[in-house]
Amino acid sequence: MAQPFLKKDDDRDDEEYSPFLGIEKGAVLQDARVFNDPQLDARRCSQVITKLLYLLNQGETFTKIEATEVFFSVTKLFQSKDIGLRRMVYLMIKELSPCADEVIIVTSSLMKDMNSRTDMYRANAIRVLCRITDGTLLTQIERYLKQAIVDKNPVVASAALVSGIHLLQTNPEIVKRWSNEVQEAVQSRAALVQFHALALLHQIRQNDRLAVSKLVTSLTKGTVRSPLAQCLLIRYTSQVIRESGVNTQSGDRPFYDYLEGCLRHKAEMVIFEAARAITELSGVTTRELTPAITVLQLFLSSSKPVLRFAAVRTLNKVAMSHPMAVTNCNIDMESLISDQNRSIATLAITTLLKTGNESSVDRLMKQITNFMSDIADEFKIVVVEAIRSLCLKFPLKYRSLMNFLSNILREEGGFEYKKAIVDSIVILIRDIPDAKESGLLHLCEFIEDCEFTYLSTQILHFLGNEGPKTSDPSKYIRYIYNRVILENATVRASAVSTLAKFGAMIDSLKPRIFILLRRCLFDNDDEVRDRATLYLNTLGGDGSVVETDKDVKEFLFGSLDIPLTNMETSLKNYIQNPSEEPFEINSVPREVKSQPLAEKKAPGKKPTGLGTPLTGPTPVGDTYERLLSSIPEFASFGKLFKSSGPVELTEAETEYAVNVIKHIFDRHVVFQYNCSNTIPEQLLENVFVIVDASEAEEFSEVGSKPLKTLPYDTPGQTFVAFEKPEGFPSVGKFSNVLRFAVKEVDPSTGEAEDDGVEDEYQLEDFEVVAADYMVKVGVSNFRNAWESMGPDFERIDEYGLGPRESLAESVNAVISLLGMQPCEGTEVVPSNSRSHSCLLSGVYIGNVKVLVRLSFGIDASKEVAMKLAVRSEDENVSDAIHVIVAGG
Amino acid sequence: MLLAVLIANSEGNILVERFNGVPAEERLHWRSFLVKLGADNLKGVKNEELLVASHKSVFIVYTVLGDVSIFVVGKDEYDELALAEAIFVITSALKDVCGKPPTERLFLDKYGKICLCLDEIVWKGLLENTDKERIKRLVRLKPPTEF
Repeated sequence: MAQPFLKKDDDRDDEEYSPFLGIEKGAVLQDARVFNDPQLDARRCSQVITKLLYLLNQGETFTKIEATEVFFSVTKLFQSKDIGLRRMVYLMIKELSPCADEVIIVTSSLMKDMNSRTDMYRANAIRVLCRITDGTLLTQIERYLKQAIVDKNPVVASAALVSGIHLLQTNPEIVKRWSNEVQEAVQSRAALVQFHALALLHQIRQNDRLAVSKLVTSLTKGTVRSPLAQCLLIRYTSQVIRESGVNTQSGDRPFYDYLEGCLRHKAEMVIFEAARAITELSGVTTRELTPAITVLQLFLSSSKPVLRFAAVRTLNKVAMSHPMAVTNCNIDMESLISDQNRSIATLAITTLLKTGNESSVDRLMKQITNFMSDIADEFKIVVVEAIRSLCLKFPLKYRSLMNFLSNILREEGGFEYKKAIVDSIVILIRDIPDAKESGLLHLCEFIEDCEFTYLSTQILHFLGNEGPKTSDPSKYIRYIYNRVILENATVRASAVSTLAKFGAMIDSLKPRIFILLRRCLFDNDDEVRDRATLYLNTLGGDGSVVETDKDVKEFLFGSLDIPLTNMETSLKNYIQNPSEEPFEINSVPREVKSQPLAEKKAPGKKPTGLGTPLTGPTPVGDTYERLLSSIPEFASFGKLFKSSGPVELTEAETEYAVNVIKHIFDRHVVFQYNCSNTIPEQLLENVFVIVDASEAEEFSEVGSKPLKTLPYDTPGQTFVAFEKPEGFPSVGKFSNVLRFAVKEVDPSTGEAEDDGVEDEYQLEDFEVVAADYMVKVGVSNFRNAWESMGPDFERIDEYGLGPRESLAESVNAVISLLGMQPCEGTEVVPSNSRSHSCLLSGVYIGNVKVLVRLSFGIDASKEVAMKLAVRSEDENVSDAIHVIVAGG
Repeated sequence: MLLAVLIANSEGNILVERFNGVPAEERLHWRSFLVKLGADNLKGVKNEELLVASHKSVFIVYTVLGDVSIFVVGKDEYDELALAEAIFVITSALKDVCGKPPTERLFLDKYGKICLCLDEIVWKGLLENTDKERIKRLVRLKPPTEF
């Protein structure tokens, strides 16, 4: 075996001798002295530059002194007339990126080249100058750059334009002055000049909607010379479509024909860009979507992996919003499951999981099982997340999906992957009651052999909350106590807490739990012993079987209603300033500071398994409830019923960004205005919102909480509270003005001036609507829920919805009007269907469960009729739902 | 933004790496990630057959040419299709400079020329020139023929 290998190695020595073998930085820097020779040897100099480039391209760095020395030597090479060497010199200067005080050495040489009669000197000198220049030098050479943009030689023009794109980041006010020249370059006959000019012009004018719209209008009618420019134009076109709002009166979307035309372009890049633009149109109709999906489907069976990847990636996105539109591609997609490229295969699988129907679930799972064994963890996580959503969509299929999850949980895998699986099982347990017992057992089996302390402790915590509520809690005790015997101290401590929870909830288990807890008193870890002692005392460990005190349960199960960061800070302060007084937990501030920012960054983020509290229907609401109850003015409002998602009250990229969250209580509403200040030179003080409720008659303002300061880039909140009739779903419109005192801040010191100026900022209006009084709460089996609710308070009526765009649009409109949770995937309307049934579930203000059955039909003239059947626990609520629909 | 162009030999040693807008501390991570990606997938791949991967919101298109593997990394507007275009320009220019799919030795012999070509193709993360004939002339400071 060794023989041929050696031979090959010998051959390599002969053939593969590297010109850079044994290259050393010090030696090359020595060699660079040839640049200083009075008689320059161009060939030798080029060789040394190549070596320097090789070093730099290997990630080697030069010290400041080395770089300066090389730079000064390289500048001497401008004396040589050798063209090849000159080209190398340009590159070398760019690579060395000299500092400001050195640049001056080469500027005169470069300025000379910039005005040279040799075009190519001009182009390269521009690129080098723009790379190393600063603002002051730029004003000196601006005139030449403007000329260069409209130069006849396309290379010179492109060099100036691409420089412009880079310089726009550092010197926007200068580059913006070139727009006339750039505009001229957009009309250039040279394809690349047009491409670069288009990119620069758009960047210069990106905040001027009208100008962008004009640019798009003229270019979509004219000629675009390269596929690259065409792609840019498509992107800008979709931006214009997005900003020009929804369909015009005729129902046609502006520029749609242009996008559709691009689907027949000869360059694949353009076809894809157009197809993506169409699929991302807001409120895209099936008719608009079809041609795009058709071309993407063709690419699924392309021989080129890049095209297959691009197609399946786009379809994967479409499947999130329009799963039915993608179902036609399912057969092609299934053949991609075995694609050699794992990125493609994973995308295909996750798309199929989104578009599959209930009957295809089992077949799909079989295919995926084979596939899972040979992909990396990061892909597996994507698949697990897709399976979780599929299971929530088809709760009746939980058995096979849960089995799949438990099987992969037993296989090898890293922490992130295992965490994704555990999170998924937890979410399924929470949302599908039938899946609870089997899910908990899977988790119990997993912790028997789990190498991750974090996961073990989280599962034990979850088990303590959910286990006691099952039909036979005693069967979990074995798994928990095994942890006390076998695991490390952290897990043992968790297991002790879990045991205590079982003891607190189930009186019959108490004596046996006490025996186990007493054994823990001999543990060799302090924390474990402390916990065991604490629980034995709080639960009354004298062995008597008595009902657990309410306070004890609250102590065991109640969540810590103090933000952990605040707790940490307070404890640190306590340790730093020792005192005789014991630490007082009530002294810890309860205000949550960074919450709104995190929320804004992750819109629509799903609750993540173990990390979220599992009590209320809306996990975010729990945080809000704590936040609001920590404010004395609102503490008496009682239990928070619902918090809306954030409603933006300002446009993107304005000076101040404000959104509002509507918190609904039984007799009050509180508006939480999340404000952020995007101007570094300003500090806002005493920030509050003046709310005009003249179009909301049933609301009267009862209090507000201004925000003391709003520094740059640190969001804060101000609140306004209104009273309304108790339990009544009052609606109305509110107009808002932001008031504040503004102080100038010195950016260098960060200090604000003493005197502020009063100012105000107009915000958009928003409404409180009927849907704000409805909490989305799903049911796993709608038919069972419907039957058990019974027909006592059933109300049925029929409505004509008039001519509508499509059936899907009507269904979505009614769902958002009612603000209820669609069940069993019925919110998705198959394309071309003439009728559709939709099932909704929710909890109405006053904690009244409501179920709704909607039946839609559409005729040839697009007239939509709807039958609405409501069942609830209260006849007034059933009537109220009809009032909402009739009024909407 | 075209975040990186990386060329390695068949053993995964770096021959050229050019990053744009990638913080210095992340470069090492990218280098080892790409080299591993190549080692896992490029075995037996034909010259210039493009492979594609995505890592978070970043795209990677890579291929083999003779003894060297070429990787381009991009995000936003430089998606898999734009990167395919960029890597096509790079492979054509390399073949042009070397006269054939290069051995490692040939690649290193032509190293200076190759650096110049890459400089013409990608400039600070933007695609600048796409035509190999033009690039061939530009590295010799000759104006393009169509002019």
